[in-house]
Amino acid sequence: MVLRWRCSPLLLLSLLLQSFVSADHSFENTAVVRTVEVAGSLVQVTTTFAVKALEGDASEYTIALGEREHERTSWLEAKIKGQAAILPLFEGGYDPEIGVHFYTVALPHAMKINETANLVVETVETHATYPWPEQASQKDPQSLKYETDLFVVSPYKTLVERIKFRTPTPNIHSYTNPPGLDDFTVEIPVTKSGATITYGPFNNIPITSAKEFLDAKQEHVAVHYAYDSPLVEVMKLKRSAEISHWGANLNIEDTFHLRNAGPALKGHFSRLEHQSTMFYGRPPPHVLPSLTVQLPAGIHSPYYYDLIGNVSTSHLRTSPSQGKNGRSQPSLLELRPRYPLMGGWNYTFTLGWDSPLADYSSYEKATGKYIVGIPLMTMIPGAVVDEAEINIILPEAATDVDYYPPFVPTESGITTHVTYLDTVGRPAIVLRYGRLTHKHAGVIYVTYKVPVTAHLKKPLAVATAFMGLFALGFLAKRLDISIQKK
Amino acid sequence: MADYQAVHVFHRTLPSFSPSVPVGLLPYLAFLLLAATFVLAFYFSTLPTDKVPIREVAVASLASILAGFGVVAMFCTVGVYV
Repeated sequence: MVLRWRCSPLLLLSLLLQSFVSADHSFENTAVVRTVEVAGSLVQVTTTFAVKALEGDASEYTIALGEREHERTSWLEAKIKGQAAILPLFEGGYDPEIGVHFYTVALPHAMKINETANLVVETVETHATYPWPEQASQKDPQSLKYETDLFVVSPYKTLVERIKFRTPTPNIHSYTNPPGLDDFTVEIPVTKSGATITYGPFNNIPITSAKEFLDAKQEHVAVHYAYDSPLVEVMKLKRSAEISHWGANLNIEDTFHLRNAGPALKGHFSRLEHQSTMFYGRPPPHVLPSLTVQLPAGIHSPYYYDLIGNVSTSHLRTSPSQGKNGRSQPSLLELRPRYPLMGGWNYTFTLGWDSPLADYSSYEKATGKYIVGIPLMTMIPGAVVDEAEINIILPEAATDVDYYPPFVPTESGITTHVTYLDTVGRPAIVLRYGRLTHKHAGVIYVTYKVPVTAHLKKPLAVATAFMGLFALGFLAKRLDISIQKK
Repeated sequence: MADYQAVHVFHRTLPSFSPSVPVGLLPYLAFLLLAATFVLAFYFSTLPTDKVPIREVAVASLASILAGFGVVAMFCTVGVYV
């Protein structure tokens, strides 16, 4: 899971003890509504807890994630309904016997006894859906299946619970109607209305983060639905941001390893079939003929190439830059890969552009410090990035380098990168992330200082090379290479 | 976290980066500096050889310095932002 920089390890131990002792009795969920929006590679789960404090001075609420849920979740955020402020989240421990992970949310103020609040917890799950059937020929439609545990795992008792599944289209092939829910409801447990399947309402659910409940009462449900867009997965993304002070330029280069994670192609690929579907109307849902990507404003000189060479099938519509703090429209790039991506096919390409450094960097004259804000990644709508590596290459001889990523990276470090006209090499910050989604679009801030003399290193290096040539000329003039003595 | 927010606010309030040499001038600077280097190099080649090569060293140093800045400006002009 890629969380924001809110997990404070120093508080972890104290919270761990506190949460286990007081969690069961300090709150009660008067109502829980979970909405699961199933789409392609990403599934957004919004759970609204209507909580009531049973004890006075309750300021920490614990949320729990089941084993499978936790494995898939790559984004977790908690807010009070109606408020924009994101609540601090801390890791609250793991119970290996039941495989449940706990997280503690710090409420904005301590709740008095019998006080109520509405807490909204949003998570994004990645790789939670899979194509079913697993193979499809060029003409077949695309369907996905999503499996999950039904009841919301919580360390508190719940009075009323509803779980809704929302699919992108009303075309749902099947959904589970689990038996044995009589303990919690006397009505029909499942109803379908358009593109929404509602499970519930379920009444008087005990503490679900307990072995007895998870083993005996937890139900597994699956939804099988049609999906009309291609499933795009970025297996690896390598971003390189190079800062140039002499050219006042920021060059960003992205290398994408793209994959169509839809049903694998059954049979052979018919170019004729493909061209006729493209000509007459929309291609089948699992074929990816082109991608639209949003790039920053004010960019110029873009390039798009792959292993074979330059790819000319792209169209960029730039939007003018509004400066560092201005609200600008994104530039739109429509890319067509060299070949249409069928289910299971991969495509690797490199996309890069130049942009004015003034839009990203600022300078503090008093201390001589530069602050630059580099966007974390280029968003491909609806795609998950499995592995991301971001390199930020600073000018030569940059000192006091410090970086502030918006999310905790899995690995980070500073290396040396050598490029044109370099003598000692440039410091490069390397950050690695896993499982990024559209929620992780943030800005990495880097601060550094470059003394004025360091700027002159490059011209001096070139001047030295030229001086060497002149020295050779100097010697050549004094050498007598005539065959006969003058 | 507080650090990130602080840097974010700081970044917004500070003035934007501005280079010491305006970017629009770089192509012209490149041309002028490299032309001067070429002329000086030619002049260097015509200088007589003296016992104490003060003139040669002076011309060569001036030509090298101009070449240094000229090449950096040229690289930036063609799109290799060094």
